Amino acid sequence: MSTEIGVWIAALLTLAIYSFLYKDNPFYKVAENIFVGVSAGYWAVVLWFNYAWPNLFEPLIMRGNFIYLIPIIVGLMMFAPLIPKVSWLIRIPLTFTMGVAMALVILQRIQGEIFPQLQATFLPLIGVSPMQTISNLLIIFGVISTLIYFYFSKAHKGVLGVFAKLGIWFMMVAFGASFGYTVMARISLLIGRVYFLLHNWLQLI
Amino acid sequence: MKQTIPLIIVFGFGFFVIIAFFIPLSAFQDASQTFETWYTGVIAFFVFIGIFNIVKVNASKIQRRLSDWQYSIILLIFLALMMAAGFIGGPNGGVFNYLFEHMQIPLGATMFSLLAFFVASAAFRAFRARTPEATLLLIAAVIVMIGRVPIGYYIWRGFPDVVEWMMNVPNTAAKRGILFGADLGLISMALRVLLGIERSYMGGGRE
Amino acid sequence: MKFLERLENLDRRILFLLVGLAVIIPLIFPLGLPVDITRPVKSVFDRVEELPEGAIVVVSCDYDPGSEAELTPATAAFVEHCFRRNLRVYMMGLWPAGPELGNLSLESIAPRYGKEYGVDYINIGYRPGGPVMLVSLGRNVADLVRADYAGVPIDSFPLGRALKSARDIDLVMTLSAGDPGVLHWIIYFSARYGTPIATATTAIMAPQQYPYLSSGQLVGLLGGLKGAAEYETLIEMKARAVAGMDSQSIVHLLLVVFIVIGNVILLYQKRRI
Repeated sequence: MSTEIGVWIAALLTLAIYSFLYKDNPFYKVAENIFVGVSAGYWAVVLWFNYAWPNLFEPLIMRGNFIYLIPIIVGLMMFAPLIPKVSWLIRIPLTFTMGVAMALVILQRIQGEIFPQLQATFLPLIGVSPMQTISNLLIIFGVISTLIYFYFSKAHKGVLGVFAKLGIWFMMVAFGASFGYTVMARISLLIGRVYFLLHNWLQLI
Repeated sequence: MKQTIPLIIVFGFGFFVIIAFFIPLSAFQDASQTFETWYTGVIAFFVFIGIFNIVKVNASKIQRRLSDWQYSIILLIFLALMMAAGFIGGPNGGVFNYLFEHMQIPLGATMFSLLAFFVASAAFRAFRARTPEATLLLIAAVIVMIGRVPIGYYIWRGFPDVVEWMMNVPNTAAKRGILFGADLGLISMALRVLLGIERSYMGGGRE
Repeated sequence: MKFLERLENLDRRILFLLVGLAVIIPLIFPLGLPVDITRPVKSVFDRVEELPEGAIVVVSCDYDPGSEAELTPATAAFVEHCFRRNLRVYMMGLWPAGPELGNLSLESIAPRYGKEYGVDYINIGYRPGGPVMLVSLGRNVADLVRADYAGVPIDSFPLGRALKSARDIDLVMTLSAGDPGVLHWIIYFSARYGTPIATATTAIMAPQQYPYLSSGQLVGLLGGLKGAAEYETLIEMKARAVAGMDSQSIVHLLLVVFIVIGNVILLYQKRRI
């Protein structure tokens, strides 16, 4: 068994969270609230030292670079709702950030996703092995039929209906794969904690 | 004014960044870079206000003696402790790192690991093949669950290749189709925001 | 059948106990199942092998303690490989806790290879702003990075001075648990500046990366703890990820049994009606 206090603290907090599996209890609630408090405190410290001080306040206060007043004042407007008379000022930082972010969405989603993915769907059907031809055909039909499934301006009847149905089958395989991976992810997280308890705390492995 | 100024801001900054992308002059590129740098500065305050809200909500809970108010005291104590450790000792400080390593990491990791048990319970009670589509979904899930771990490779050497084919062909096809749809939707939403048609993010209704 | 009716109403705590045992027993009594290597993982390994000594690799730790179990082993294996190849590691993160988690690996592995902070590796910490920040970072690093994660001016380090823009980066490895993460590195950074991106993601996110693998926008992919185990096997370092694979296998088999039993109960219920 470990003799380090920190390992014991971590182990006891781990067991407090797991006690929820039996039923909800004060140990779990205490651990849960410690987690929220510590996480929020951590975020504040890291944000200040990693970014806010060196990138905003230090250039302004220590080097007199007044251009940094602009993002600071705009950022402080986030607190405007505390004063009802000027609460509308919160729209300024919201619209500024939305404007810049949405502009980049338009540019980058087209350049970085739609064009490359479209290009990757134009696959060769001749000059490759028969298995690759079948796979490429399946990819092309899969993409088209999935898109057709989400086209709701026309009823899914006739040829459109057939493609929509095919789209559903492709999506079921994709969602099944995602589901299998999700199960895998959850189990991995549990393995990580049990490994800590057995290796670091109880030192059984 | 309360509506107009924000709409001018979103339109002005948004379309400037788009236009600057197509103009290779350094003045436009530098201005765009400046706005993007300001963006990260403003975003920092979004986080600060989140933390401020946590304090406000829990302080109010304690003051009004709402249900489980005692736990809010614990939350605020540990928030103060973490901030004190960080601001006094710095992010490299011993106490700050100690709390991070021996409290934040184990608590965060354990919270999410609880889901493993609930997924097991759901596997028993809810993962039922009620329709042909659900059957196909379950079959695909079982193939991935066995084929993606060493036991699948041990049972049959070809299992991982079957899974890899499934991921590269039907999974890629469907995900790509969904991706196109989502991106086109996102772009149209972005245009609506820049043109001032979509205003729900501003809050406060039509003033 | 009374047995099936009793199974239908089984207390879920018994299921929890079975899952717990299925995890614990293989960890204490390992089966030693061999870990197969898949192409997406081999691609990442091969790309690192091809990089010249001194190349700068940005390791972006875009995760938090909730994904630590899957991504810390991947971080450790990748950093180990980088140091063996004498590559320079530039660590950062789009999530607040990521760089600190990554630092635990960095500081435990670096001394074994005689690596010096600021010369062979550096950690600039958390950078807020997600995708917009990435666009700005690639154009001019100095606009966004003034100090390392401890607040020391970045210009006081040779590696800090060496990285000025995306042109100086030979590979980005993002350890990603969600948004912002790999998607933004691909769309906002690589698409603009052409920098190759490799990724280790949680298993939940892995299926969504395959379209990017197929289009060549991703160099390779380590999916979940299995991906980390494959990478550990490739670099001949059997650590946490490989140790967990036996438990992963047994629990998956157990869950398949649960699914089968659940569907047998469904069939029985349908017959009853």
